[in-house]
Amino acid sequence: MPEAAYWNPKTETLPRDELARLQLIKLQRLVAWAHERSPFHRRAFDAAGFHPDQLRTLADLRRIPLMTREQWMEAQVETPLFGDLLATEPQQAIRYHLTSGTSGRVPIRVLDGMKDWEWIAEMWCYGFWGFGVRPKDSVYFAFGYGSFIGFWGAHYACEKIGALVMPGGAQTTDQRVRQIVDMGATVVCSTPTYALRLWQQATEMGLDLRATPVERLIVSGEPAGSIPAVKRQLEEAWGAKCGDTAGMTEIGTIMIFECAHQPGGTHIIEDHFIEEVINPESGEPVPYGELGERVVTSFGRGFIPLIRYRSKDMVLKVPFSRCTCGRTGDIYDGGIRGRWDDMKLIRGTNVYPRAVEAIVREFDAVDEFQIYVWRKDNIQDEIAIKVEIKPGREGEWPALQRRLGADLAIAHEGLRFIIERADYGTLPRFELKAKRLVDDRPKVEYGAPAR
Amino acid sequence: MGIRIENDLLGREPTGAERDVLEVYERLKALAAREDLPPSAARNVRKALACLWQATNDLALQFEQLYHLGV
Repeated sequence: MPEAAYWNPKTETLPRDELARLQLIKLQRLVAWAHERSPFHRRAFDAAGFHPDQLRTLADLRRIPLMTREQWMEAQVETPLFGDLLATEPQQAIRYHLTSGTSGRVPIRVLDGMKDWEWIAEMWCYGFWGFGVRPKDSVYFAFGYGSFIGFWGAHYACEKIGALVMPGGAQTTDQRVRQIVDMGATVVCSTPTYALRLWQQATEMGLDLRATPVERLIVSGEPAGSIPAVKRQLEEAWGAKCGDTAGMTEIGTIMIFECAHQPGGTHIIEDHFIEEVINPESGEPVPYGELGERVVTSFGRGFIPLIRYRSKDMVLKVPFSRCTCGRTGDIYDGGIRGRWDDMKLIRGTNVYPRAVEAIVREFDAVDEFQIYVWRKDNIQDEIAIKVEIKPGREGEWPALQRRLGADLAIAHEGLRFIIERADYGTLPRFELKAKRLVDDRPKVEYGAPAR
Repeated sequence: MGIRIENDLLGREPTGAERDVLEVYERLKALAAREDLPPSAARNVRKALACLWQATNDLALQFEQLYHLGV
């Protein structure tokens, strides 16, 4: 039997009209389930004057009220531990996870049942198979295996695919590098930042990762996986293809992945999700090719239905025809482009960390960096980029300093970025989601003067 | 077996292979509903049912919840 190109050819290649029909049927059943079983959703539907019977076409989706993380957090606070979102008894759960707390707020807690976990792994199967992972592969997970959901689902996906799984939890970076090399891993999974860190560590250990059997890096957890300069650096450093994926704890898995054709973006798994893109201010849908906020409806986890959930992720959707792989799932050009709430306003100019990283990573001599924002003399906001240079490339610093400052200014309406050199090894390194932006400006809290 | 095989969610008639998968799924649902199985069988049936739920879901043969069966 010839090897299948798709994990699930029947619905990954459905004509768009049939895909829409499948989405509508799933949506109708999911919404009816949520209305019947989840007090949170029933309350929200009632408040918006919406009833599941009103869902007759896919366009009726917009009758359903949007759901926010803030509503979810409030429900958790009012009714610990899980709010009134659960659609079934917590005793039916087999797993508990929570958000990583990247944004520093109340973590979102989730429960999943047995079939939910099959589905969570399944979505990763779509992505891993789509990027070329097969039963012959040996897959190494440079991941801490904690309560953050991270690559847990990917681990089970690789077991399901039949690959050899190597869990690299609770180890130092040099131990992980050693295992990747000694065990002959063909696929390595981590955040983009940590994939760079593994390469740095290997270099310090005198190891050339390009000489290892690693053929594929599969990254997740940060927008950097789709930044061309980061991808290029990773592919050159490892001598391997680098594929991006993205997901969120709120759905438990990934909803987009880069296929082996690498079309400059990530396919949406549309037989299991509806992904809308809206203007974050007006809530109106935006057309193909325009930047907006992704809103997700998931057909997976029934334990906590997720319907029209505002992700705050910035995306730009393009038609599936951008890619020649044959999948009919549309594409997020450039993957996840950052978060609306990551935006910093510096002297009237919008600055997005991902956009800054895309420019900084064009400079191959940069090893690590940090974006530092502060208020000078309590009057004027300033932004600096602290840069560590790779060992042996120190001579490039003067020219790099000038060019980086100029490139950042050009991309930010002339805003002045201060480019500072940091001693090698002094900036933080990250295993999970990198936090490269430090905002040291006074915080204004409700009812309290700025400090 | 007497299991009724309907069209898939797209209104298509299931293929022979899809009928076989759906039949196993329905049989596992029936097993999971029984109360006379020892824990070893009852829990492994549920594990198998979760996998078949996923297979039939991927093939657009069903879209339903199974929490009432502990799955």
